[in-house]
Amino acid sequence: MRTGHFKERTAQLVALSDSKVVWSFAGLLLALVLAAPFLIGNYQVTLLVSAMIAIVGAVGLNMLTGTTGLISLGQAGFLAVGAYTNAILMMDYGWPVWLSMPAAGVVSALVSLLVGVPSLRLKGLYLAITTLAFAFIINHVILYAEWLTHGPNGIFVSGAKVFGVDLQRGKALYYMTFGITVVVVFAALNIQRSRVGRAWMAIRDHDIAARVMGVDLLRYKLYAFMVSSFIVGIAGALISLQIRFVNIDVFALILSIEALAIIILGGLGSIAGAILGAIFLSLLPEAIRLFFDAFADTNSSFYTTYVYEIRGITYGIVIIAFLRLKPEGLIGLWRDVRKYWSNWPLAY
Amino acid sequence: MDFLLLLLASGLVSGAAYGLIAMGFALIFKSTGVVNFAQGELVMLTAYISFTLYSTFDLSFFPLMLVTIPISMAIGLVLERLFIRPMLGEPIFAIVMVTVGLAVVLRGITIMAWGPDPFNFNAGIPTRVVTLGGVPFYPAQLYLIGALGVLTAAGWAFLRFSRMGIAMRAVAANETAALLVGISVSRIHAIAWMLSAAIASIAGVLFAANFKLAPDLWFQGLRAFPAVILGGMDSVIGSAVAGLVIGVIENLFQGYVGQGLREISGFIVIIIVLMVRPFGLFGSKDIERV
Repeated sequence: MRTGHFKERTAQLVALSDSKVVWSFAGLLLALVLAAPFLIGNYQVTLLVSAMIAIVGAVGLNMLTGTTGLISLGQAGFLAVGAYTNAILMMDYGWPVWLSMPAAGVVSALVSLLVGVPSLRLKGLYLAITTLAFAFIINHVILYAEWLTHGPNGIFVSGAKVFGVDLQRGKALYYMTFGITVVVVFAALNIQRSRVGRAWMAIRDHDIAARVMGVDLLRYKLYAFMVSSFIVGIAGALISLQIRFVNIDVFALILSIEALAIIILGGLGSIAGAILGAIFLSLLPEAIRLFFDAFADTNSSFYTTYVYEIRGITYGIVIIAFLRLKPEGLIGLWRDVRKYWSNWPLAY
Repeated sequence: MDFLLLLLASGLVSGAAYGLIAMGFALIFKSTGVVNFAQGELVMLTAYISFTLYSTFDLSFFPLMLVTIPISMAIGLVLERLFIRPMLGEPIFAIVMVTVGLAVVLRGITIMAWGPDPFNFNAGIPTRVVTLGGVPFYPAQLYLIGALGVLTAAGWAFLRFSRMGIAMRAVAANETAALLVGISVSRIHAIAWMLSAAIASIAGVLFAANFKLAPDLWFQGLRAFPAVILGGMDSVIGSAVAGLVIGVIENLFQGYVGQGLREISGFIVIIIVLMVRPFGLFGSKDIERV
């Protein structure tokens, strides 16, 4: 009888996965997601697009907070930078979308240096508060730099065309988001098992020990900030394409908390966890709506007046429940299920 | 000159509110090592409760606070028992995230219970303008500054002389050692939350009396962060002083530099402070051993 899954060679340890089953399931999942727009309605496609954008953002944040251990409450700020860069370059400077999206990532990464450099001396909660301060400052700059950002009026985003295909519509948006999500996830998986990824984990586990082993803290922390906010900036650009209108209200503080909630309930430091968490949390509002549909009236004034509060309370309860009952997150649950499955009928 | 005096006066008033909220933060951080992100929501919830008490029983200020403060302390105790105590022994990050979750829940519940519209709430404080040194003040403004002064003095005396305050400092210095000499650490944690909730209620009521009682009151909790950082997160007195400093700085920025700078000047100040002194002005420096 098989007693467990043992890795005997280094190549098995380094490989993304040495199991054919995992690869074939991943392939099956990809095929399903590729076929999805033909199988489900437009509304569900829109939901899936939001979920995939959340995945991109969560994978980005996970790199900074989960892998490197630098807590960031400034996620909304970086998303805003990405979305606004994309919108301004496309609408005011007439850049094509395939140029403005990478530019959104680059600008976001450069801006992250502004917060990254002052934060190098800070740890833990002081860092969290500094990133929070940074998100405030970004919001403020966007609101008052009207010559650049149109201030409180916001920007309408339209005409993202490549070869005559409008990337902001139904299937085109879906496939573009899907492509970016796959690339980002694979990039993240590969970065995590490279020298840089190992350095990040060393910093997370004990920064002084990492320094003693020769990890250049300054350099790798800045790498973490830049790579993470590059990805988050791209997620921001995708948001601007999907909702077609960027405004400062979109990037409120609750977005930073949502992002943290995603990676916590997915399982900190795990990319698969970030994906699970992103799907879970972007479908949660939908679940709340269905719940209200089933047990109460969705058109009732109570629901329509307090829809944000209801959502916020649900997020809060989900965060607290996971931290209390399952700190390893959804990915921990999945591991338990897998262990139970492969060890059955023995308990351990 | 008059303009400067006015700016200083209104800076001291909003600074006193920051100082009070920051004291609440510092009290919990000092004894439990957790930044309570729900402090702003605690301020808001207790202010709304006080508003309901005021409009039902029509009390004047001091009796109102006599009722509000015990209720707030009970809320603080319940929150600590239900949400924070079970997390004892978990990483600090997890506990802090619980307070973040708690914050959104409390905010949602408060808004759903009292509705999204703002209220006028004078907390039974007279509204006749008083002139001090050529600067006109509302009594509510003086109450706010006075409350900060009294609470700072009381806080200092409490931490310096009372048995419980000394136990609290011992827990802050070294939890394990405190436990070993017979201090009930979990009780100290509960007391810290109760006192912090009491301070939050005073801050909430006086803030609402000075400005208005609206569902965005929780945001003052975040606005007080610069004061918390400037004072050093573990310094109760330092954060009270830093609140005044931040309030004055904000108003001076608004008056002399630019209209919109008020909201972020405090945050700019703390980024600079943290670059020079990562532990704040009055905070104690951690020495790390490997």
